[in-house]
Amino acid sequence: MFFKRSWLIMIASILLFALVGCSNETTSEEPKNGEPKQGSSDGVSGDLEVQYFVGGYGDEFWKKAIEDFKGTYPDVNVIEHAGPDINTEMNTRWISNDPPDVVYIDGNGANETQMIADGQLMDISEWAKNIKMEDGTPLLQSFISPAEELDGGKIYSLPLVFDTWGVWYDSTWFEKQGWEAPTDFDSWMESMKQIKKDADISPFNTTGQYAQYFQRGVLYPAFAAAGGEELLNDLSNGVIEAWESEEVLKVMKKVQAIVDADLVDSGFAAYNHTQSQMNFLLHKNAYIPVGFWLPNEMEKDTPKDFKFGFVPTPMNDTGDAMALVPDIRTVAIAKEADNPEAAKAFLEFIFTEKYAQKFAETTGAIMNLKNVDLSANNNVPEFLKGINDMINNPGQIEIHQRNTPEGDEQDIAVEITAEIKLQIVDILMGRISAEEFVENMTKKAKELRGN
Amino acid sequence: MVLSKKQKYVFLTFCLLPTFIVFCIFTVYPMIGGLYYSFFDWSGTSSVKEFIGLGNYQKLLSDSVIPKAIVNDYIFVFVKVFGIMILALFFAVALTQLRLKEAPFYRIVFFFPNIMSVVVIGILWQFIYDPNIGIVNGILRTMGLEEWTRPWLGDMTWALPSIAVPAIWAGIGLFMLLLMGGITDIPKNLYEAAEIDGASEWQQFWRITVPLIWPQIKTSIIYIVITSLNGSFVLVQVMTAGGPGIATEVLGSYLYQKAFEDFKFGYGAAIGVLILVASLLTVIVLQFLLKKEKVEY
Repeated sequence: MFFKRSWLIMIASILLFALVGCSNETTSEEPKNGEPKQGSSDGVSGDLEVQYFVGGYGDEFWKKAIEDFKGTYPDVNVIEHAGPDINTEMNTRWISNDPPDVVYIDGNGANETQMIADGQLMDISEWAKNIKMEDGTPLLQSFISPAEELDGGKIYSLPLVFDTWGVWYDSTWFEKQGWEAPTDFDSWMESMKQIKKDADISPFNTTGQYAQYFQRGVLYPAFAAAGGEELLNDLSNGVIEAWESEEVLKVMKKVQAIVDADLVDSGFAAYNHTQSQMNFLLHKNAYIPVGFWLPNEMEKDTPKDFKFGFVPTPMNDTGDAMALVPDIRTVAIAKEADNPEAAKAFLEFIFTEKYAQKFAETTGAIMNLKNVDLSANNNVPEFLKGINDMINNPGQIEIHQRNTPEGDEQDIAVEITAEIKLQIVDILMGRISAEEFVENMTKKAKELRGN
Repeated sequence: MVLSKKQKYVFLTFCLLPTFIVFCIFTVYPMIGGLYYSFFDWSGTSSVKEFIGLGNYQKLLSDSVIPKAIVNDYIFVFVKVFGIMILALFFAVALTQLRLKEAPFYRIVFFFPNIMSVVVIGILWQFIYDPNIGIVNGILRTMGLEEWTRPWLGDMTWALPSIAVPAIWAGIGLFMLLLMGGITDIPKNLYEAAEIDGASEWQQFWRITVPLIWPQIKTSIIYIVITSLNGSFVLVQVMTAGGPGIATEVLGSYLYQKAFEDFKFGYGAAIGVLILVASLLTVIVLQFLLKKEKVEY
């Protein structure tokens, strides 16, 4: 009997150890010897589970913020769920209504629109309205790109990362060759033709495997520059009249002009994002549309004398402002959060100038807070200081918001995106003209709208 | 020792039950689960799902990508069956009949891709096909065939054949070993008798070797068909993600895209059911087509 029990205890212990060993969670240290924790915890305590995706921006910012948070709130035991595939790993927790408290929505397998549609995020409107920054400004008025209000004014997430797409180039190489960074479509075309002549390369490259890079990096800013936010959102939502508009045809003719001038890398359709970015770093191309994460993502492969230069995608007409369409990465509290108070305290904790500086230093991107002066911060890359300056001084560029589709519109937006991606590859390969692109998209919009 | 009927059943149950339980957990349960979810509008990321009956199947019928994906799947099946079987048979005969000293070395070399992860194979061949640094275009340039160079995986016409090549390359070794086993079992005196009767080597191959290893050939073909219909997805996903456009889209890659990128898990499950039905029908048809009397000499 004794042996039988011993075996059972041993097996149970092994299983327990295996379970603990398999977990990739890290937790803050428990107080030793039952000593009470010290600090100003404002009555916030208990376990706080934070899920964050680790991609191009790394995890340094999160590690630092969580460590500092634990210092300020010693009664809170922060459990981190992090990694490049964390959204998939945590999926079963979300399905079984046992989600973490805080979620940073980014990376594969995470989609804020879907999470809102599935009722997974907490309505934090009332709480968010009362949060103030250190200088007394309401948090909701401190965002560069505002928090999105859905379902008649409800806020489900706070916009944390001001991510945006644009066109990158090597400013050292440009300086050496005497090439100018473009400011509008005409100057971009001139620049690309000059580069093609001087360096005998295809100046423009993108990834054909992930055509959304061209969609978000070139087409969105182009549509926004041509017709503003209304056109941009109508196109995403498959509004037929929007796809039939003159502005869209004009934009697509610009794309066709790039193709006709033989400025696109002939191998683009074969490349995934990493391959296209490697070619860019190796000067096989001069321009590539990617988001802010590019320098961080390619840090290990970047040649020593390569200096990243960034311009909002120059698809604007001469004299018009350049357009930026932010791709905001948000942070939210789960509707079924076990510790919403700690979750709110954590969100309030990170939306400060201190962490905005830290974010820019560690990620090479901008936290979505206005009037953060990065110019004196030596750890922030030059291109980021420039773009931060542009964003905070309207006039040089215009920022256009892309709205989250609601209800049935969500399905249409997904289908439209899938179709745009197919058409992008076709037009960049020269298989279809601008007119055919518009015709195909209009046909798809009509099909989805039941016309 | 003669087993009683009861002992026989206990012994059989002892042998079969664990396998049956594992089969139920890892094959039957997911299969039924997939079928169940195909009747729902579900994102696959939350507990919220709506029963829509045959809605996903109706959508399948009007989805323009599905016919293209099915055609691509069967092109893969066709090309892989012929490519692998011809080459595997050739190498198997060469290594067993030609009495090469280096036969063990070649056996290892040909089997090597089978121990590599398909993902690694995909990445490796991506580099081989790279338009700038790839060995294929490099060789063509060295040979002065510059006009033949192209972005193989980014070319609407060449992308699918380009994926088929590594798929065949990776599959030869296993089937070569299987066929070699069959060839080795053929009694030598049959060949000697045939030689005395004046049969050429070609005739010996067709009249003796092929009929006597037909069970192995049949098994290989069915195995290639099933693994191709269910497994082409990995190479496609790694090498082209279904592109350019939908030029290399197969049902598996489209399922992945819908279920895990577009958050249409229910629709993805319906595509999965389609793959299952297609595989079953294909195997049934193949069983019928490959039916042949057992040959014994």
